[in-house]
Amino acid sequence: MDHKANILVVDDEAPVSEMISAALSDQGYKVSIAFNGEECVKKISGDKFDLVILDIMMPGMDGIAALGEIKKLDPEVEVIMATGHGTMGTAIQSMRKGAFDYLHKPFEIKELVAVVEKALEKRKFNDITKAIFSTIKSEELLRIIIDSAVRILKADEALLVLLDAAGQPYIAVSEGLNGEPRKTSRLAASSRILERLADDKGASVVLIEDPRKDAQFADIEHIGEVKFALLLPLIEDNRLIGLININRMQLDEYFNENDLQRAKIFASLVSLALRNANLYKQLQETQSQLIQAEKMSALGQLAGGLAHEINNPLSGILGLTQLVLEKADAGAQSCQDLKDIEKAVFRCKKIISSLLSFARQEKTRLEPVNINEVIEETLVLCARQMELKHITIVKEFGPELPPVNGDFQQLMQVFLNLFTNARDAMPDGGAITIRTQLSAPAPDKKELLAVSLADTGAGIPPEILDRVFDPFFTTKPAGKGTGLGLSVCLGIINKHNGAILAKSEPGKGSVFTLYLPV
Amino acid sequence: MNMLKKILVVDDEELVRNYVRRALSSRGYDVAAAVDGASAMAVIEKEDFDLAICDLKMPDLRGEEVIRRLKARRPLTRVIVITGSVSDILNPIFPGLAVEGFLIKPFGINEIRDMVEKILKGRS
Repeated sequence: MDHKANILVVDDEAPVSEMISAALSDQGYKVSIAFNGEECVKKISGDKFDLVILDIMMPGMDGIAALGEIKKLDPEVEVIMATGHGTMGTAIQSMRKGAFDYLHKPFEIKELVAVVEKALEKRKFNDITKAIFSTIKSEELLRIIIDSAVRILKADEALLVLLDAAGQPYIAVSEGLNGEPRKTSRLAASSRILERLADDKGASVVLIEDPRKDAQFADIEHIGEVKFALLLPLIEDNRLIGLININRMQLDEYFNENDLQRAKIFASLVSLALRNANLYKQLQETQSQLIQAEKMSALGQLAGGLAHEINNPLSGILGLTQLVLEKADAGAQSCQDLKDIEKAVFRCKKIISSLLSFARQEKTRLEPVNINEVIEETLVLCARQMELKHITIVKEFGPELPPVNGDFQQLMQVFLNLFTNARDAMPDGGAITIRTQLSAPAPDKKELLAVSLADTGAGIPPEILDRVFDPFFTTKPAGKGTGLGLSVCLGIINKHNGAILAKSEPGKGSVFTLYLPV
Repeated sequence: MNMLKKILVVDDEELVRNYVRRALSSRGYDVAAAVDGASAMAVIEKEDFDLAICDLKMPDLRGEEVIRRLKARRPLTRVIVITGSVSDILNPIFPGLAVEGFLIKPFGINEIRDMVEKILKGRS
């Protein structure tokens, strides 16, 4: 234990309080004594105690009254009531008022120690729960988790292993692990367990005794240092997101039933806390996107209004300057000055127009565009990324297609989003087939051009297929996708009076098809 | 008879009215000015102009409305729109106004002279 628990013993009979004090001191606890209720309350208000052992029958303020005062001063301190003969009813009353447990006098030391340990264990869990839920910032949370794991399960080493975006395990945070070889060794063991757990969803806690003698781990270097390993899977939404590995290095320090019980509770607390932190992160991201969008729109309005306000007087300055300039002597200093004023006006004009073009809300400008050219241009931008991810691009362009009425830049944006999604769906490489062709005429006899983009990736589960165009809907890990890509595509295609459809077969890939009026 | 061509400048910005009027008077046009939409309408009721140069953003009437009424009352009067913001020109109702030209502020004296000359050329 990293700190000795601070215990206050309260009993008006000196032999009793001294006996209890001696027994607990023997166990390594720090013990103080009070001989009546008033003294007890005074001590609680001055010092921090983890536990109070409180006699009920005392002259002056009795145990029940003292309990009330204690809980008022420090609601977290645990209290064990000591009851004499005939105070059974009071003992039950005290439980209702927040006591942890009670002891019947006379009691044996063994009983006392057991109930004290239980109370302190509860106290420790309370502390840890409070700590874990005290923050939703990921970095802080990871540190607290691992420190708590060490504290609550008396570990020599502890590591939190999470899965990265590509599903590869990595050590998010660790304690007591010195040097790369050790980290590599423990990560290897954890990875094997994760693989096993992925197939066996029911497993809660995995206990490994002497991994060196276990065929599953024997080949991992440095694993012999670990004598007992406990692995707690972390589950979020029925999905395995990682594990906590806790190791003990001494032969006699096996994990007992109590440890396993604690580990299970701890793992579920951690899973919940990680989920909170993730939700918080997502919320923050969404919020910052909204703020950004709001800002741009506000800036656009401001710039538009400002431009108008400034352009009026600016026009006056320019016109009047030129009128005076017409009558000025060509060689005079004032003529040069006026020309400088004129130049300054042109500079202002330029600044205002660039501010406007930066802030302007994108307006769709439709003109005849060659869709194959748009795709080629987009591929220039992302060909290198595709190559790096071992993705082949197959182009099946229809010949002599009629131009579509479109905004070149915005259509590029659409294809860029689609290519990026296809790339992310194929982390291990694959192929994207892009096909352009005239499609069968729509019911209103308008000719349509169809562009389909097919990948060989993981595909989209049917249950979420109709949600992929929703704003902020994403399957990418937090921080990776905005959930806006496809909704932006849909917005742009709508402005083109077109349509966009998604089809997918899990395991085989997805096809996005755009229809644009010719 | 070769009469002076008559031009009306409508703008709430005094500086703009001032220099546009002087830039054109010095080229031999007969230039009147109105400070807002209502006074522009009053002047138009009484007089016929060859050309109106009209701002779009004014405190009382929007320039579009002034131009619409002007064209209804005096179909032969030509119109140049002057405005401080490009987005006015991109306004979808703008093409329906059928004006003869537009200039974005700030514009110089020769820009307005050239445009006026081009539009009024051949008009007697």
